[in-house]
Amino acid sequence: MNRLPIFKIVITHLTSRKRQTIVSMLGVTFGITVFIFQAGVITGLQDFFIEKTINSTAHIHIYQDKNQKSAPVLNKVYPEDDTWISVSNIKSKNELPKLKRGLQIVEILESYPEVTGVSPSLSTQAIFKIGVADVSGMINGVNIRKENLLFDLEEDMLSGSIIRLETVNNGIILGSGLAESLGTVLNDNITVVSPGGVALQMKVVGILETGLRELDNSRAYSSIRNSQKLMNVTGNYITDINIKLENVDQSGELAEEFQSRFGYKAEDWKQANEGIFSVFRIQNIVTYLVIISILLVSGFGIFNVLSMMIYEKMNDIAILKSIGYTDVDIRNIFLLEALIIGFFGGIIGLVVGFVISWITSIIPTNIEGFVSSEYLSINFDPTFYLLAFIFGLVATGIAGYLPAKKASNIDPINIIRSQ
Amino acid sequence: MKKVLETKELNKYFYTPVEFHVLKEINLSIYSGEFAAIVGPSGSGKSTLLYVLSSLDREYEGQVLFNDVEFKSLPNHELAHLRNKSIGFIFQFHYLLADFTALDNVMLPGLKLGELTHDDLEHRAMQKLELLGISDQATKRVNRLSGGQQQRVSVARALINEPRIIFCDEPTGNLDSKNAMNVFNLLKNLTREFDQTILMVTHDDSLSSKTDRQIQLLDGKIIDRSEN
Repeated sequence: MNRLPIFKIVITHLTSRKRQTIVSMLGVTFGITVFIFQAGVITGLQDFFIEKTINSTAHIHIYQDKNQKSAPVLNKVYPEDDTWISVSNIKSKNELPKLKRGLQIVEILESYPEVTGVSPSLSTQAIFKIGVADVSGMINGVNIRKENLLFDLEEDMLSGSIIRLETVNNGIILGSGLAESLGTVLNDNITVVSPGGVALQMKVVGILETGLRELDNSRAYSSIRNSQKLMNVTGNYITDINIKLENVDQSGELAEEFQSRFGYKAEDWKQANEGIFSVFRIQNIVTYLVIISILLVSGFGIFNVLSMMIYEKMNDIAILKSIGYTDVDIRNIFLLEALIIGFFGGIIGLVVGFVISWITSIIPTNIEGFVSSEYLSINFDPTFYLLAFIFGLVATGIAGYLPAKKASNIDPINIIRSQ
Repeated sequence: MKKVLETKELNKYFYTPVEFHVLKEINLSIYSGEFAAIVGPSGSGKSTLLYVLSSLDREYEGQVLFNDVEFKSLPNHELAHLRNKSIGFIFQFHYLLADFTALDNVMLPGLKLGELTHDDLEHRAMQKLELLGISDQATKRVNRLSGGQQQRVSVARALINEPRIIFCDEPTGNLDSKNAMNVFNLLKNLTREFDQTILMVTHDDSLSSKTDRQIQLLDGKIIDRSEN
């Protein structure tokens, strides 16, 4: 106590104006709570979505980019710059999106040490019919074992099993949304019609739910052979190669390498989901703006309370100065009061934020939207807690410093003379 | 006798609302152990002189020497230390910290000085309260004490660091005559028994006549009574 003569004054000030102290603490508490909760929910949702996306999209996807238009042949005839050529209504050449030597590429890819799984596939649009109901979607011809290695399909099966795709002739696995729109259940027979007009009777051997709505509403799996039949092509015809890597962070550089090596478009998962990531970026900016404005408001609250307190304590300040307390002592008294308010308000905010987040995470919400999930997944990253706490202390420190500095500059003679 | 306080050619002006020459050519010395009173009609500059002599007001011309040190030459933190250690204040309106107990108020200057341990300081504060006859009120908050009791607490606070000099600005002005006399006698005893130097501003002639020396102020000038 001898070392800190101001400590007793600080404690007395805070405890003798309990309501004022509590109100300004609540300001900080509220700010920190919102910070914790909002950051937890937003990043939790994002992490959940990214995890789902990584699990259900390949790290690298190799395919032929069909939309490249060929330059007009006339260019070759008139190579000079001063000849103007105008060709209207250019059409792409009738090229199939086939990966030539696709199976050889698969073998080469499998020899890379960074690659943990390779799954060749072909996909085509198709119309699924049962009775009068018909729904359009995509049908993927896959080697189900290899595909499972990449995407853990087995875990997402609602009913049936993936292995029956190999054992049952003409078996098909439907996405849950697709099956629902068709009104089919396990072991129903459905008709699949390709854009080329080929129709195939198939038996539903499984229903799959990944949690990504868009996929579940449109995707079906069959064996490679059956998809080739639908597309009316030969046995080595594949259109896509999906690759899973040991380390997902290498996807960018390896995609570039594959693209130049094989001459087909190789897209990593970030490129494939570019739209979502830019949404996340905007979402994060909005989140931080909201959090900062809340902390700013509670900062102003503390600033106000302390300014008023100093106004009320003018006499005290004059007395303290006249009995030998220095300018620095006076400044420290009010600064310390602000920091104590910030410290305890912050601690309570962290606890309340955690409790609210935790309660939210165990209440079933059954969100159906972009993704479907039974519970809100919330991020409990301690970094947020540390960040929120530091931010709260800094905000209260600044909010307290200005009035504290003003208090330290009060000249006691002005107060005493005015009495 | 040793000089505690000395002024040389002290002048003081107020500039707002209009320029006004408050203190004129004050040459004054206060000696150790003296019980002196500044007297004079209201508006003569008594309080202003006290604030200058007690280091609270440093906007003056000329010199004010405390133990041969000029106030203006001290930086703020050294001045604060000087007030803490060597100067005690007793004001008309008791000027105690309302949220604190009587004991805490008395201890505050001692806590700042930090020369004693907390227990020793508390012991000394209790001694001072006992000396002033209010030790039974020590743990009460000061805003629950009567005016006379509050003024005794502020006397005890002025004494806690055993200062070289105590300045009193109308110490009895806010009290009824019985309490005023009690507080005055207390102060006088301090000068007699503990050789305490006290400089007091008062307009009450019945009190000032009982001090060792009266400094008569009129329109900012000292009129020496002994010469008259």
